[in-house]
Amino acid sequence: MKKIISLTVNGVTSDLAVEPRRTLLELLRDDLGLTGTKKGCGIGDCGACTVLLDGVATFSCLTLAIQADGCSVETVEGLAKDGKLNRLQQAFVNQGAIQCGFCTPGMLMMATELLRRNPQPSELDIRREISGNLCRCTGYQKIVEAIQVASEETP
Amino acid sequence: MILPRFDVLVPETVDEACTMLADHADEGIRLLAGGTDLLVDLRRPIIPQHVPRCDGCPTHPEGRILSTIECTPSDSDSLMASGGSLRAALEDPRRASPAYLISLHKLDQLKGIERLKDGGLRIGALTTISEIERSREVRDGWTALAEGADNLGSPLVRNRGTLGGNIANARPAADMAVPTIALNGRLTLHGPSGARTISAKDFPRGPGISVIEPNEILTDINYPPPFPHSGSSYYKLANRKALEISTVGVAVWLALEEPDGPVEDVRVALGAVGPTPILAESVRETLVGKIPDEPALVKAAGAAAGDARPIDDHRGSAWYRVQMVELLTLRLLKIVLRRARGDR
Amino acid sequence: MSKYRILNTRAPRVDAVDKATGKALYTDDLKRPTMLTGAILHSPVAHARILNIDTSRAERLPGVKAVVTNREAGTTPYGVSPARYDETIFCHDKVRYVGDEIAAVAAVDLDTALEAVSLIKVDFEELPTILDGRAAMDEGQPQLHEIYKNNICAEVHWHFGDIEEGRQDSFLVRTDRLTSKMQDAAFMEPQSVLAETDSHGNLTAWSSTQAPHYVQRTLAMALGLPLHKVRVIKPAVGGGFGPKASCSTAELATCLLALKTGQPVKLTFDREQVFLHSRARHQFFHTMTTGVKRDGRLTFLEHRCILDGGAYASFGIAAIYYTGSLLGGPYRLKNMKYDGYRVVTNKPACGAQRGHGAVIARALFEVQLDRIAEELGMDPIELRLKNVMEAGETTCNELFVSSFGMREALQAVRDSTAWKKKRSLGGKTRSDGKGIGAACGFFVSGAGYPIYRSRTYHCTVITKVDEVGGGVTVSSGAADIGQGSDTVLAMITAEELGLSLDDVRVVSGDSSLSVDLGAYSSRTTLMTGHACREAALDAKRQILESIAGTLGVPPETLDLRDGQLVSLAGEIDFSELRKEYLQEHKGFTDLPDGPQLTFREASRIAFLERGAIVGTGKYRPPPLGGSFKGAAVGTSPAFGCSAQIAEVSVDLETGQITVEHITGAHDCGFAINVTQVEGQMQGSMMMGMGEALMEQIIYDKKGRIVNANLAEYKIPTALDMPHLDAIIVESNEPHGPYGAKEVGEGAIMPVIPSILNAIYDATGVRIDELPVTPERLVEAMQAKRDKRS
Repeated sequence: MKKIISLTVNGVTSDLAVEPRRTLLELLRDDLGLTGTKKGCGIGDCGACTVLLDGVATFSCLTLAIQADGCSVETVEGLAKDGKLNRLQQAFVNQGAIQCGFCTPGMLMMATELLRRNPQPSELDIRREISGNLCRCTGYQKIVEAIQVASEETP
Repeated sequence: MILPRFDVLVPETVDEACTMLADHADEGIRLLAGGTDLLVDLRRPIIPQHVPRCDGCPTHPEGRILSTIECTPSDSDSLMASGGSLRAALEDPRRASPAYLISLHKLDQLKGIERLKDGGLRIGALTTISEIERSREVRDGWTALAEGADNLGSPLVRNRGTLGGNIANARPAADMAVPTIALNGRLTLHGPSGARTISAKDFPRGPGISVIEPNEILTDINYPPPFPHSGSSYYKLANRKALEISTVGVAVWLALEEPDGPVEDVRVALGAVGPTPILAESVRETLVGKIPDEPALVKAAGAAAGDARPIDDHRGSAWYRVQMVELLTLRLLKIVLRRARGDR
Repeated sequence: MSKYRILNTRAPRVDAVDKATGKALYTDDLKRPTMLTGAILHSPVAHARILNIDTSRAERLPGVKAVVTNREAGTTPYGVSPARYDETIFCHDKVRYVGDEIAAVAAVDLDTALEAVSLIKVDFEELPTILDGRAAMDEGQPQLHEIYKNNICAEVHWHFGDIEEGRQDSFLVRTDRLTSKMQDAAFMEPQSVLAETDSHGNLTAWSSTQAPHYVQRTLAMALGLPLHKVRVIKPAVGGGFGPKASCSTAELATCLLALKTGQPVKLTFDREQVFLHSRARHQFFHTMTTGVKRDGRLTFLEHRCILDGGAYASFGIAAIYYTGSLLGGPYRLKNMKYDGYRVVTNKPACGAQRGHGAVIARALFEVQLDRIAEELGMDPIELRLKNVMEAGETTCNELFVSSFGMREALQAVRDSTAWKKKRSLGGKTRSDGKGIGAACGFFVSGAGYPIYRSRTYHCTVITKVDEVGGGVTVSSGAADIGQGSDTVLAMITAEELGLSLDDVRVVSGDSSLSVDLGAYSSRTTLMTGHACREAALDAKRQILESIAGTLGVPPETLDLRDGQLVSLAGEIDFSELRKEYLQEHKGFTDLPDGPQLTFREASRIAFLERGAIVGTGKYRPPPLGGSFKGAAVGTSPAFGCSAQIAEVSVDLETGQITVEHITGAHDCGFAINVTQVEGQMQGSMMMGMGEALMEQIIYDKKGRIVNANLAEYKIPTALDMPHLDAIIVESNEPHGPYGAKEVGEGAIMPVIPSILNAIYDATGVRIDELPVTPERLVEAMQAKRDKRS
């Protein structure tokens, strides 16, 4: 029996009917068509599905949509404003932190939370913070560098 | 893998939650906190653990045939209805395919870290691991718990995982349960007839099994006030530096009578070396009342190793684990002694 | 001052912005109207005869549109190498591994599809299993395939030169062993397929694949469709690394379901299924006996290897050849004997994974070189420098290295990390647990021959100039799977036509655009790069000829630079051309008015003169290699090479290993995109490090994978990876476009051995089994201590 929840996604609030077992990831990708958030494993091992739930980096694959009722969700689609990449996204592009791109949305959301909480993270802080986001292409080097560059530009 | 069908109930008070537990016990009802354990547990894997073996199958009377599903005619409809895998049906279906989940996310009264008047600490069961990791209070007074939080999973797991969930799941390697036992934590279980408290070390009974009653909820965990001249630490031994379940976990808490004096009390808790986290009781007699010199510490570490009861599994052999318990206990005792004496 | 405007820079990837904004579409992101969802029934047992398949209950489930088994699929054999087509879409007589595919379902949603799968009843007669690759060839073992006697899928016996002569010539001879485990590529995006048919009998499959062309061929063959009616399109792909380079049951089943239902069907693997499918790194059991002269020069190598490749051949034939052939270099070696056996066992099939069959072989050889160096009292890098080949030489197995920066790469790493200061020589072990180790490796820059016997071009590229003028579209079947090939094609085209990257559109990964063998064997930059350059130059020639004709000047006096047409021989009067262009564009506001004719104008005028301006390019390597059996594999138009140094610190009591730093130097001939070359090097370091220290597929006694998830199959996290330094060496490959050759796979070769050598430096123990987990290291350290006392 579906339940009605209210969800604000990237600033837009809407009411949605969801099955109790629907995960936030399924809701975002299948119901809202926001396919930027990726499913790498579905059980919280890879971080590809990372979104911000009330500002906290969260596995959307292990969050039931019902648990997000009344919350605000930020996904990768909400980072760029007026078609312009934000500082973090631009740093990823410029530093070569993107290869296949599948881990990128999750990395960006994780890094967004980090930089809000800690605008001047050390390299170790950064590595620790993204340690739950797996990447198989880059060896993490350029991702760390991109986050460093983005943090240096913080006003 | 997708989740089985269930309904989600969202109580606003603990009592409401207990009532729900009682009302739906027969249909299967489970508590959902952070979800990082439960929602993974409930998923049906592609390859089942159990492959039915049919003896005396009418089509193949030679017998001893394997099949993807049991071939009893009467099952044909019930299998369709349950929508679950055979594996799930063979386990207690109320646990593997509960009809209800109780999501605790609205119970704000179960969140938060509170310093008590007597100097002790109360942490609500729904407090996330991240909050514990970032608490200056916890790190200063109950360091082993903060270090457990440092090492649990990854930042994503810590953002969702809760102290109560980690302890209530009663896994032998639980990174919060092991320090809680070393710190002599007490758990408050709330049921329909009120609350009871038990020592953290008495809570788990086996892997995934605890003394919690079906209609009880773990509401908070209390840690006693820090002793003067005491310290604690937790070390998680694993292969990679994040996203691991420990091969061996050791938590040590120690209090000295005076900075240069003998040991007043000590607790060593071990993770992943038995069916539950273990309080290494043999350690006490090697150290309490004694000056903690090198020989005493070595003896204590040996006693801890003696209490460990590991098995061989794909994370490590019993041989390796026992050695590591001894090694890590010795290392941690030294670290904790320094902390107890005031050198951080 | 660089010779090039765009090449050899750090130009941002052309798809980076889409990936950073979530706009890039991967297969599972795609949706079609009336789309159904597919699911597969996998065998739960490792080896059994299929007695009966009953799909009736599944078919009756509401919401199910089709259930298919071998009845609908047929039993046309397929596989990777035509000489070893040993797979059928679905099992019909036997299942050979836990995960082998038996049936598939298309239903209105995933839930219904999975439920239907659970209602398919299959009865098996269990058969004994063979799970140990070392025992698979023994008499009396269960046989998986009738065609593979003694479970030997392929065997190779080579003898180049004369190893006995080499042995006589040796001052020192050593025998060493190394075994590994089956490993997984662990790309982040699980396989996914969306298949659709149309009213004209055309089948289109979007798939997360590395090789649209090979998938197209296999789909057509196995499903009995004409090739030109099958189209495979690769959307954005989240990594491949090898397992996605061949057609899988997921692709075949999904297409079959689409054909049967007449509706689009999408099927996406769960992570567990990625492990069940595998087609990843084989398990290797290597024994090598190597001899050297007193001064360290190699005299001979005798190499025996068993490759456990799971239940089917897949890329195993190529693997077994690479295992042997790629030890012919990078050192001078006159005498080499190789006996390799690729066996089948009741486990998921193994295929190609970054570095193919050569990775573990390289690891052992490089460790063996270190042991030799120690016995000779030589510095390990000096020993290597003494033996490295130079450009222009040929290996004993007839691999010709046209460019070879191995010496420079070795010197680069040696000089960059205070190698001399940190090294402890002669086996003296420090007690601080710190160690440093070095190793080398090399790899093909594209396989010399396609996987099917043919003289086909390996790739073509079609570059069409906008008929309205201004930009170009580069069409190619090449597969950008994250390595950045689209960017390479865009950069080459932009360079030759004097355009900005924004004015070059790359459309790729579509089998209907052109033949391209795909992203495997590290071929795209060299091969498709060649074809792309040819197409760009062809288009340029046509434009310049056209304008030159109109202006009455020789075409050699014109060029395209920075978005303009320039004259190399004095002023030209193009006013008539501009006049015509302006006339055509009355009302437009961004009209050209500068002193030079713009590319926009020139390309438009050329269209007006000639019609469509289409440049084409093609590439196929010249005949390569020797005439002995299997000579083809390992041949390549060029070879990349790598040297690395790894620094580790070991907790000598717990055995935990921390890699503190990796410095690698890779000769890629010429770096078309500097950032991308570094990225490939760093990614290779991560995969190699994972394989060295933590990656292994664990099976239980029933042949089931115990750790089919990313929590228990451990790949390095950001906390595990150290700082990675990537040094680019450019040896200017004569057979590569602009001198470029590969980096994608060669850079993984030195990683495992440099880490193993570093561990030895830190601890004094050698481990001959991968991965080197803390427990394995502790065991070895204690065994050494016990032996001493």
